[in-house]
Amino acid sequence: MRIMIAEDDALLREGLVLLLGTEGFEVTAAVDNAEDLLTAVDADPPDVIVVDVRMPPTFTDEGLRAAVEARRRHPRLAVLVLSAYVEDSYAGELLAGAGTGGGVGYLLKERVGKVADFLDSLHRVAAGGAAMDPEVVAQLLVRRKADDPIRTLTPREREVLSLMAEGHSNTTIGELLVIGAGAVHKHIGNIFTKLDLPSTDGAGHRRVQAVLAYLRA
Amino acid sequence: MAGRLLSHALTRVWPSFVSLAIGFLTAMASWVVLCALLICTLLVFTLPLLPPLMIAVRKLIALDRWRVSRYTGREVTERYQELSGPFLGRIVTVLSDPATRRDLLWLLVHPVASLPLSVLSIGLPGAAVQNLITSLIWWLVPGGLKSSFGLPVDSWPASALNLGIALTAALVSCLVLPWVATGEAYLARALLSPPKASMAQRVAELTATRAAALEAHGAELRRIERDLHDGTQNRLVAVVMMLGIAERGLRRDPASALPLVLKAQNAASDAVAELRDVVRSIHPPVLEDRGLDGAIDALAARSSIPCTVDVESLRRLPAAVEAAAYFVVAEALTNAAKHSGADHISVRLTIRGDLLTVEVVDDGHGGADEQGGTGLNGIRRRVEAFDGHTELSSPEGGPTVLRAVLPTGA
Repeated sequence: MRIMIAEDDALLREGLVLLLGTEGFEVTAAVDNAEDLLTAVDADPPDVIVVDVRMPPTFTDEGLRAAVEARRRHPRLAVLVLSAYVEDSYAGELLAGAGTGGGVGYLLKERVGKVADFLDSLHRVAAGGAAMDPEVVAQLLVRRKADDPIRTLTPREREVLSLMAEGHSNTTIGELLVIGAGAVHKHIGNIFTKLDLPSTDGAGHRRVQAVLAYLRA
Repeated sequence: MAGRLLSHALTRVWPSFVSLAIGFLTAMASWVVLCALLICTLLVFTLPLLPPLMIAVRKLIALDRWRVSRYTGREVTERYQELSGPFLGRIVTVLSDPATRRDLLWLLVHPVASLPLSVLSIGLPGAAVQNLITSLIWWLVPGGLKSSFGLPVDSWPASALNLGIALTAALVSCLVLPWVATGEAYLARALLSPPKASMAQRVAELTATRAAALEAHGAELRRIERDLHDGTQNRLVAVVMMLGIAERGLRRDPASALPLVLKAQNAASDAVAELRDVVRSIHPPVLEDRGLDGAIDALAARSSIPCTVDVESLRRLPAAVEAAAYFVVAEALTNAAKHSGADHISVRLTIRGDLLTVEVVDDGHGGADEQGGTGLNGIRRRVEAFDGHTELSSPEGGPTVLRAVLPTGA
């Protein structure tokens, strides 16, 4: 898998290059600003870009905007955005701007430390899926109104909903909750009925998009 | 009757007389100053004398303002704009100050209005006194005397008539003087006071400074957030990342993990150091204990390069400003110690008006680059948060001069 990195902190950039290198990925470029990232992506599109949200010159959200722009130019490019803090509105922007092409991920920076989970997210995104930080999902689940249909979900169904929103496939959800595929399928069916969501198949980021859109509404 | 007249004379007439007499003097002086101003302006080469002359005008007017305040019992105030900075700037300040226009109007109107009134009001009691004396001593002078109204006083009947005139003049003086003095004082007060709209102006001014203070506060918060985000938080993420890689390494090849653990340790130490810096940058404890000058002395004493401190007319400033000034000096000294190769550093703090200037000069090899180090960048950001500005001059071969100018906000 070919990866490009955009991260302005030198130590973190080197760390990411080292990590992905040791794990057998090919890092084709590691840059420290959004503009260089877009140039590098145009010159030689990789499979995935890993982008820090805050970079020079304004240190606001240029990484996010560059990721959306790169996706506009190369619809099949997978994008994994790393950030020091997560904002559910950023996740929405990223998914909305991402279109229907390659995978999309949005994770807290420190998730990189749990290398196995991080690599799993990376693979998921590269395969066209989604990886939303549990923090984003938690933010969305916290502020619910009293009459919200989500309150009708069982605790187990809430867990399944969270994992779905994070972008996990049915198989992984089953493994993580130690339940069978049939049970997962039943839970998901219940959730979609209770929340009145249009049924979408598979684990692609379209399902994540639908769930997040529901949670953000 | 005589007692009431006397007490009236003492409580009302005497102050009126004094006020008019001083008004007479300031009116005379304003003629002189007006002429001087005219000459100074017409002879173009004397223009540089204009600001000192305007200062003299302000002194003269301050005297008249004091007189009017005292007489009317109500403070007459004026707010002049502060005079500081380069010479041309001062001229512009003086000329553009609305208070200056009021001063000039006073110079023109005060002599015209006050001089005749004062002459009359001082002349009348003067004449009364003179004629009283004439009536009493005419017989001592051979051939008699002439009264101040031209009447010959050479017999007792004439003397009695003259005495009557003197008493009439005294009576008229007592009755008229307070009215004249009051009228004159109110006219002067109208000329000398800032317009009534100044309350609205003051509110606008306060609103503006309040907004600026809030803005500075916001900028300061953003700076702290960025310092934490770009420094401490990233260092800690690096620690987590290095440990993550090390963990994977330990499973595969334990020997490969050691350098990563060491890297993680270094990153953790950096995080602690940066956190300490951020905490200190918010408000160094030493400032509270020893004030800005004491804190800077302490910094200089700690410097690895010999450092002299020159502090001029320093007063206590808002905590945030002191912290910023302290930070500028601390960063500049650290930078100089790391990069300059200097033998000596001098630090100067001066307050002019409402500006605090911090100057750090080293005799090192120069060539300091603002883009290069985070130190200089940090200084600039910190100073800009207070609406101040930074100048850096560092030619190859030195010396390096860093100057930061901070509004004191007071």
